[in-house]
Amino acid sequence: MTTWHRPGLAEALEPCRPVPPAKPNILKTLLAVQTVLGHVPTSAIPQIAQVLGLTDAQVAGVLSYYSDIRTRSPSRHLIRVCMGESCTANHGGRVLRAIQDHVRVAVGDTTPEGRFTVEKMSCAGNCAVSPTVMIDEDVCGRVTPSGVPSLLEPYT
Amino acid sequence: MKTTRLYLSNDTSSRAAGAGRLADAWSERPEIQLIRTSPRGAFFLEPMVERDTPNGREAWFNVVPDDLPRIVGGMGGTPVAGIPFLKQQTRFTFANFGTTEPLALDEYQTRGGLKGLEAARSLSPEAIVEELRISRLRGRGGAAFPVWKKWQVAQQTGSEQKYVVANADEGDAGTYCDRMIMEGDPFRLIEGMLICAQAIGATRGYIYCRYEYPAAAQTMRFAIQKAREADLLDFDDYPFDLEVVVGAGSYVCGEETALLESLEGRRGVVLAKPPYPAESGLYGKPTIVSNVLTFATIPNILTSGGAWHASLGTEGSRGTMAIQLGGRVKQPGLVEIPFGLTLREVLDRFGGGMAPGSRFKAVQVGGPLGSLFPESHLDISICYDTFAQAGAILGHGGIVVYDDETNMVELARHFMAFTADESCGKCTPCRVGSVRGREILERIQSGQGTAEDLILLSDLGETMKTASLCALGGRAPYPVETAIEHFGDEFRSKLSAFNLKQ
Repeated sequence: MTTWHRPGLAEALEPCRPVPPAKPNILKTLLAVQTVLGHVPTSAIPQIAQVLGLTDAQVAGVLSYYSDIRTRSPSRHLIRVCMGESCTANHGGRVLRAIQDHVRVAVGDTTPEGRFTVEKMSCAGNCAVSPTVMIDEDVCGRVTPSGVPSLLEPYT
Repeated sequence: MKTTRLYLSNDTSSRAAGAGRLADAWSERPEIQLIRTSPRGAFFLEPMVERDTPNGREAWFNVVPDDLPRIVGGMGGTPVAGIPFLKQQTRFTFANFGTTEPLALDEYQTRGGLKGLEAARSLSPEAIVEELRISRLRGRGGAAFPVWKKWQVAQQTGSEQKYVVANADEGDAGTYCDRMIMEGDPFRLIEGMLICAQAIGATRGYIYCRYEYPAAAQTMRFAIQKAREADLLDFDDYPFDLEVVVGAGSYVCGEETALLESLEGRRGVVLAKPPYPAESGLYGKPTIVSNVLTFATIPNILTSGGAWHASLGTEGSRGTMAIQLGGRVKQPGLVEIPFGLTLREVLDRFGGGMAPGSRFKAVQVGGPLGSLFPESHLDISICYDTFAQAGAILGHGGIVVYDDETNMVELARHFMAFTADESCGKCTPCRVGSVRGREILERIQSGQGTAEDLILLSDLGETMKTASLCALGGRAPYPVETAIEHFGDEFRSKLSAFNLKQ
């Protein structure tokens, strides 16, 4: 097996190494890796599987299942536009279009200089002050299409 | 200099409405002391600032930084007790909201907190379950299963290790009361879970919190630490361990078997029941999985008695419901009232009508799998049984109002696309049915659909309802079918003219 070295990966994995009788926890391990590296590259799967004592397929299966575990390196800021029912009712779709027009990128893609990635999310639980846009961990409410440029400005 | 004490909510939605900007702007002002509390739940008034007066709290609404002199001068405030949106509610589970600092355990105790746990610790496990049976509490996550029955099964199943799991994967769009509890009154959730642990003999607890709620997860971790330091987690003969586990963005993980799979670190797919988690759940051990709101309701039941809880609400739906208003209403926010008001009464009395400039078209109750109601169907009583009779669900209490700019064909496609995205893939009716359903609706939307497509959609819906393993596939057809039932012209007008003639 080829060993794959990436700074931080081995350190991130060490606390996740299962100590019997504890069983390996793939999801927790992947989230721990993401916390350190910002994402979980698919090339790290063999090393993760080895530490957990599982097969590559078991790890890959969990990695592909959860939408909030990313396999690509993140941009500086992640914009998530809520498409939940309350935001949809409050025409959050118009906010999404305004954001795409402003940063000139399709949903799921990253701007060329790596500043923003734009994604949809299903509900931020901010329904009473919708439409909602989450930028990194900041939840912004009552967002209007015309307010998009000033909303994004501080995120450089 | 005399400082004025002001209260400002630190809830995520309050901050999203501008409370964070106020706190930043006022951070250096020596004339005030800013206390960050839980929210009142009247989010349409946020950011809302309160201060003490000899006649109770007064509030200022939709505050901007320049309003500070006015507030410090005591000019133009409204007595909180006189706000109609709040005055007409019956707050029990949310009684502390707006008044306390979330992580102040002493305040929680001063306001009656921990009395339920105290009561539970003086009772036998059987007597705790009996109190819940008398209360007739049903699970608040959506399935509305009698809570005592689950607890009794877990209690009577012999095992050295048992678990209590709070389902904080609040994925239903339009709902936010679990988030409010975790951010605003975290000790109430802990108290409810400890009462459950006492009743069934559990030694470990988990709060499975969705990834989208970082502030809620962090507040819960702090609250658990405080509870541990106060020795609340020590049972007579064993320590109870409580931990927050964060999910990673999967709607299905709100279903209890999928949640437990995810907690064990695997793909969050639904398992066939039985066995039920109360007999064989996490790592094969007896496990109680209940919604955050359910656990948060329990301390008051132990404090005031099951009979008190059973005296509220309607025949099949006892107690209060946390309704979460959202969408195009004028007054979105949290409403806690006994079951039994009609949907129209709730929308009029609390929603305050439509947002300025918009006209009512439909309301959806119970999240993305809930049915749509047009204006003519609003006189339905808010309780589990009347909704079940109408083929609808109360779910987790989310109510979203749509205005007349809403395109129903697009909305129906949106619902089916959601299920297709979130299906765990375990059962065929949901995995394949949701994709086929979305394709049919896309065909209709593009003007290529035929009258047969509507029949096909109906057939597909029947299969999904009957044969899906969980509520995601089983309920997904309802919002689509109620959209077609009540707004059929919008769908028919999109059908291809050639096929209409045939």
